[in-house]
Amino acid sequence: MNAAAQIAQVKAPLTKVSMRNLDFFYGESRSLKDVTMPLYANKVTSFIGPSGCGKSTLLRVLNRMYDLYPGQRAEGEVLLDGENILDPAVDINALRSRIGMVFQKPTPFPMSIYENIAFGIRLYEKLPRADMDARVEGALRGAALWDEVKDKLQTSGLGLSGGQQQRLCIARSVAVQPEIILFDEPCSALDPISTAKVEELIDELASRYTIAIVTHNMQQAVRVSDYTAFMYLGELVEFGETDDVFNKPQAKRTLDYITGRFG
Amino acid sequence: MSLYASRRGANSAATTLCWVAAVFGLSWLALILGSLVYEGVRGLSPAVFTEMTPPPGSKGGLLNAIAGSLVMTIIGVAIGTPLGMLAGTYMAEYGRYSKLTMIVRFINDILLSAPSIVIGLFVYTVLVHPMGHFSGISGAVALALLVVPVVVRTTEDMLLLVPGSMREAASALGAPRAHVVAKVAYRAAKAGLITGVLLAVARVSGETAPLLFTALNNQFWSSDLTAPMASLPVVIFQFALSPYKDWQQLAWTGALLITVAVLALSIAARALSAGRRNSK
Amino acid sequence: MLSIEPSRRELNGAGDVSDIALEQQASQSVIVERTRVLARIALIDRVFYQVTRAAAVVVLIILGGVIVSLVHGSWPAMQAFGFGFLTSQAWNPVTENFGAAAAIYGTLVTSIIAMVIAVPVGLGVATFLTELCPHALRRPIGVAIELLAGIPSIIYGIWGLFVLAPFLQSHVQPALISAFGDIPFFSTLFAGPPYGIGMLTAGFILAIMVLPFIASISRDVFETVPPVLKEAAWGIGATTWEVMRYVVVPYTRVGVIGGMMLGLGRALGETMAVTFVIGNAHKISGSLLAPGTTISATIANEFTEAVGDLYTSALIELGLILFVITFFVLALARYMLMRIEQKSA
Repeated sequence: MNAAAQIAQVKAPLTKVSMRNLDFFYGESRSLKDVTMPLYANKVTSFIGPSGCGKSTLLRVLNRMYDLYPGQRAEGEVLLDGENILDPAVDINALRSRIGMVFQKPTPFPMSIYENIAFGIRLYEKLPRADMDARVEGALRGAALWDEVKDKLQTSGLGLSGGQQQRLCIARSVAVQPEIILFDEPCSALDPISTAKVEELIDELASRYTIAIVTHNMQQAVRVSDYTAFMYLGELVEFGETDDVFNKPQAKRTLDYITGRFG
Repeated sequence: MSLYASRRGANSAATTLCWVAAVFGLSWLALILGSLVYEGVRGLSPAVFTEMTPPPGSKGGLLNAIAGSLVMTIIGVAIGTPLGMLAGTYMAEYGRYSKLTMIVRFINDILLSAPSIVIGLFVYTVLVHPMGHFSGISGAVALALLVVPVVVRTTEDMLLLVPGSMREAASALGAPRAHVVAKVAYRAAKAGLITGVLLAVARVSGETAPLLFTALNNQFWSSDLTAPMASLPVVIFQFALSPYKDWQQLAWTGALLITVAVLALSIAARALSAGRRNSK
Repeated sequence: MLSIEPSRRELNGAGDVSDIALEQQASQSVIVERTRVLARIALIDRVFYQVTRAAAVVVLIILGGVIVSLVHGSWPAMQAFGFGFLTSQAWNPVTENFGAAAAIYGTLVTSIIAMVIAVPVGLGVATFLTELCPHALRRPIGVAIELLAGIPSIIYGIWGLFVLAPFLQSHVQPALISAFGDIPFFSTLFAGPPYGIGMLTAGFILAIMVLPFIASISRDVFETVPPVLKEAAWGIGATTWEVMRYVVVPYTRVGVIGGMMLGLGRALGETMAVTFVIGNAHKISGSLLAPGTTISATIANEFTEAVGDLYTSALIELGLILFVITFFVLALARYMLMRIEQKSA
């Protein structure tokens, strides 16, 4: 084995999640078709594609959010560290504590900033006050929000601006110490400055978490992601390193989409 | 142009009729409140709150009736609220798409508008008749049965207003369903839930029909829940239909008290839900 | 500002891979801890679910209990009178001969009078509030009407007894009698001496009582019309009346009908507003001015004084009939709403 190959092997990222022949159904209609792809550990993978292509659906399969609704089901395999999370025996609460999610619209809970963060921690850990304070501070620092809110931790999370609320939600996810964080169009409701802050944050978080982000903004995909998946009508059309997908797409549909010919 | 003229004619006729309807409808309601205040205030005195309901032809107050109403309303709400909230929680949180929820919603809507006198008959046959006598507790149960549908309805409605994304966000942190409901959904809907309870209190505090043959009435002070118990509405009913001027006066005053209480509760409920809307 | 060291991502060397392995080991132990906590929480979760479900079932049981207890309570009367109970006008506690016809008739007639008055006036008030009222007054008047809808019916009853009935007796009813005295049909409708209390008075009180209810529901429903729809109609020169007639009413028909049915359900089952002014006479009279009775008024007036099982049972059967009537009115309202909702969906 030559040196180059060795380096290539070392550089080959670890697979954190592996989807195999994943299908998804809303009642009768099939909205994911035979998707097979990995999420690499400590990498940012973005999902792009026109509305209704199944990118958000795929995200909601990864933490089994669809379980909240009847008539929705996934078939195939999603292996998280080798364990199939679609197995009915999997405890979904435990699963979700390992996989954080940040939504399109900020979803602060109707409680104080402090309580918003502490909520997730309290679910699984009984911490002394001082430790809890430290965890809350750590999470808020991790989301680059600490300096803005440290003097008003006891005020309602609903009083923050949209961008701050979204970073509060990120902090809330981080506080639970997940392994993976899913972002579902996290910036679509934010102004450009807030968007930049959130993107910067995602970049930082990638060193510690495996990240999947759904976005309809292709520049954003280029800016934040290492890998990109292009989806169309429930199918995975193309998956590869972001540079490759955008610079030399293999499929014509990908090219059409990224050059703005449809979507 | 004649078509235009006739259209304009129709329009002014219709709008005039609406004005007339509004004035007509509102003036009756103003008239009722006006005479209620006029007649009721005349009889207002400290004695109303400190003395028992009098025998015919003598002066007295409404103390035992007020106390009885308070006791039965409080017990009724204390029984009805948890039951209604839990049922509403099931419908909005767990069984949102289940058949049971559809049936319960349908049944609850019917109970909500069902004649309250029928509820009185029901409680009479299951409680009063077996016990052998009228009692304050059966009055409270009858009121509880009227509280339940109001609370079920508002609980379900208010929880349905809580955005699904809030629940998803809590679930995404690994929170179990009970936690999502109790710590997040209830909190988000808090003002609405309290509004529902206030409305339920307002609804039952003026109810007369279901008390007529459950709690009956009692001319004296009674703290015994297994004995007949006086209540404001029943006393008003009895006194208003009597031929005695003193009793009729007390009926008016009692009616004023109930109206003020109900209006205060409704206004509080409105202020609460308005405050919630503003804070969003 | 960020606490995470920014350089780690680019390293991505062999050392980093083992770092990840270590982190995974650590997270494995976290998972074990969490799973233990989860087992405990899962129990609470199941219990909470079962408790709420049981509460929902209790609501069903209440309704079932109401029906069963009413049927059980009215069994003696059913056996004694059979279906004849529905058509017999008799009401004689001494001979223990009872029939529901007069009470059913009174219930229906007073409710019809109430709806005939309250529906047009209520719709008028709702239209006034959404289209005509000066903006500054809309909220106060709207709120006032909503508050009035919550006033206990006994208030309407006592007012009807002491204020309305004497007024109708001395002013309105004599006028009605003389005005319609010579016209066929109407002369029977408005025959007899002006008692003050009677079917017309009861119906009128009911109308005043359900008016705020119908008005505020209709107003709410009218306000669901998207402003663009109305603006589109105004934009082509439609008058206010035409906007109401061709845009608002068709758009909201379902809700308005639902509101009326609910108002009707209320009027049918109302007890206290009626009991004071109906006169409690168990006979069917062609005249609206004559005293009559309704199902609920009969029960309210006589139940505690009823002696003998058959008398009590007959009253409970009246309650059952009332419940069945209102059940069908309300169920029909729901069914219509559901069907039209499905159509529009």
